[in-house]
Amino acid sequence: MSALRLAGLLALAVGTGLALVLAHLFLGRSDLPPAEVVRVLTGRASAPAYEIIVLDYRLPRVLVGLGAGALLALSGVLVQAVARNPLAEPATTGVGAGAAFAVVVTLVLRPGHQLAYPAALLGAVLTGVVLYVVGRRSFAVTGVLLGAVLAAATSLLLVVDSAPIGTVLRWLVGSLNARTPEDWALLWPWLVVLVPAAWLLASRLNVWALGEPLAIGLGVRPGPLVAVVLLVAVSGAAAAVAAAGAVAFVGLVAPHVGRLLVGSDHRLLVPVAAALGALLLSLADLVAFSISVQVPGLATDVAGVPVGAVTALIGAPVLISLVRKEHRA
Amino acid sequence: MILILKLGLALAVPAAATAAVCVGDPALTPSTALAAVADPAHPMHVAVWEVRVPRVVLALLAGAALGVSGLLLQDVLRNPIAGPELLGVSSGAAVVTATIVVLGLGVPVAALPYAALAGALTAGALVLLAIGRTRSPDHVALVGAAVSAACGGLVVAVVGLGTQGNVVVLFRYLLGSLAARGWDHVGAVAPWLVVAMALAVLLRRRVEALTLGDEVAVGLGVPVLPTRVAAVAVAAVLAAAVASVCGPIAFVALLAPHLARRLVGTVSTRRVFWVVPPVGGVLLLLADLVSRTLLYPVEVPVGVATTLVGVPALVLVLRGRAPVTAGAR
Repeated sequence: MSALRLAGLLALAVGTGLALVLAHLFLGRSDLPPAEVVRVLTGRASAPAYEIIVLDYRLPRVLVGLGAGALLALSGVLVQAVARNPLAEPATTGVGAGAAFAVVVTLVLRPGHQLAYPAALLGAVLTGVVLYVVGRRSFAVTGVLLGAVLAAATSLLLVVDSAPIGTVLRWLVGSLNARTPEDWALLWPWLVVLVPAAWLLASRLNVWALGEPLAIGLGVRPGPLVAVVLLVAVSGAAAAVAAAGAVAFVGLVAPHVGRLLVGSDHRLLVPVAAALGALLLSLADLVAFSISVQVPGLATDVAGVPVGAVTALIGAPVLISLVRKEHRA
Repeated sequence: MILILKLGLALAVPAAATAAVCVGDPALTPSTALAAVADPAHPMHVAVWEVRVPRVVLALLAGAALGVSGLLLQDVLRNPIAGPELLGVSSGAAVVTATIVVLGLGVPVAALPYAALAGALTAGALVLLAIGRTRSPDHVALVGAAVSAACGGLVVAVVGLGTQGNVVVLFRYLLGSLAARGWDHVGAVAPWLVVAMALAVLLRRRVEALTLGDEVAVGLGVPVLPTRVAAVAVAAVLAAAVASVCGPIAFVALLAPHLARRLVGTVSTRRVFWVVPPVGGVLLLLADLVSRTLLYPVEVPVGVATTLVGVPALVLVLRGRAPVTAGAR
């Protein structure tokens, strides 16, 4: 990895990120002229309503998308590294579905945002434990089945509580529709803690990748390492689900594209994958949103295409190609 | 022993059917129910003959069809977890049905199964192509999960474009439901099932030959590829016909063949073949009975019940001491 290439990648990522943020700020369902968006951004809004639209709806949506995408990718990189399984991610392990289920349970019992994050964490950890106990031998089958059960349990709760459909779609497939500053306020502390934590683990993961005996010989204690890595990974997945719902395949696609770009040195891969995850989810959200507004003659009370629908369509071919590669090897 | 078993199964179907007709609000005695069916002037005639009976008939038909679909797939692919839901067949049918309903494409009810079938066959063909040659359950599960997730994404994208009203209807449909189904629905699905079942009967010996391995099958004079393609197509027709009317009811197709093999104590396709339809029918009928009474007056979509019960049961069956499955040989 030459310094030049790295700088090029960095510039590309920052540029894409900025372009995505601007696209999200300028596009929306309400017809806001671009000039007004500029006025809001420079602090000279001509009406308070414009400020609310741009700063309270469009900005949180793109920020939550970037943040949740980064956390999902981070989670994918860490689990894939520690489990030495290139297919591990919140969707194939059922951890995402577990977190979503726990969030919906708390929302049914005690409506409100405050409990979503601890609940997601608890649900994700419990699912992880169940997967570890039941499905060590055939991880994929168990993870997929576990996810199916938890998704069914979630729909059961939603049927019983007859929650609005936006909520249904949001938790089952993941959606960034109608994010607010409150969502962003709850999400960013997790980013501040988990991104550096993941990066600090990177050099140990490089040693771990050499194989367990060698890693032990080089002074890595497997028990604590695995525990800490899984804790960071599961927390990341849980926070992402609490913010955006059970979005599938970002945790799978971003790390793999990252490996194609920068190789498997985790000191580089962890930040690159996180950046790719952020860009991927935000881009998918832009696509989802554009589909929603471009269908002619659409009624006004529609829920809109959730971002999870788009990531599922992008991720499925990637997963299939990875599975085929796995089984050929 | 076999005689007792056959007698038991023969009795289980009418017993479960009677229970399903009589249980509900208002609860009926079997004699009242019979009187209501026989006498068009009876105050309960409409409730029993137009609501409960067709639902029971549909449950039995759908369960039987799903069971046979699962048996064909499992034996012909030699994979114990092959089923229409994990081969994307059910979700392929769901995509087409959802699109037609939400976008109001004006397709007559009678033509719905044709459209659903096209979707089911497309998704099934995609999965089979993606699976390739290996028979590893992990491989099949992951590829199936990927295609199902992509189809799920499409469905949710389409649903997200619908209005609140048809979204709620669809949400229930997508989980698989037998609610509000009448003789129209039975009539729409019956011809498909009759034809497909007849073809399945013709295929059962060849499918059994295939469970012994491709070489043995060739030695027995059974054409391997045509049989495999034909069996998968028939299985897809069965699952698609059910999905077009009841939605993608999960795990009945996976579970019924395993239960039937346990009951008969053999993996012989021909011997299991006749046991699967009553087992599948009773399974779905009981699941529907539970799902509409458990949380009364709220009705749980039957697909949720079959998933919640089916997955743990499937895991138990697959982890059993000596799995009586063709795939395990």
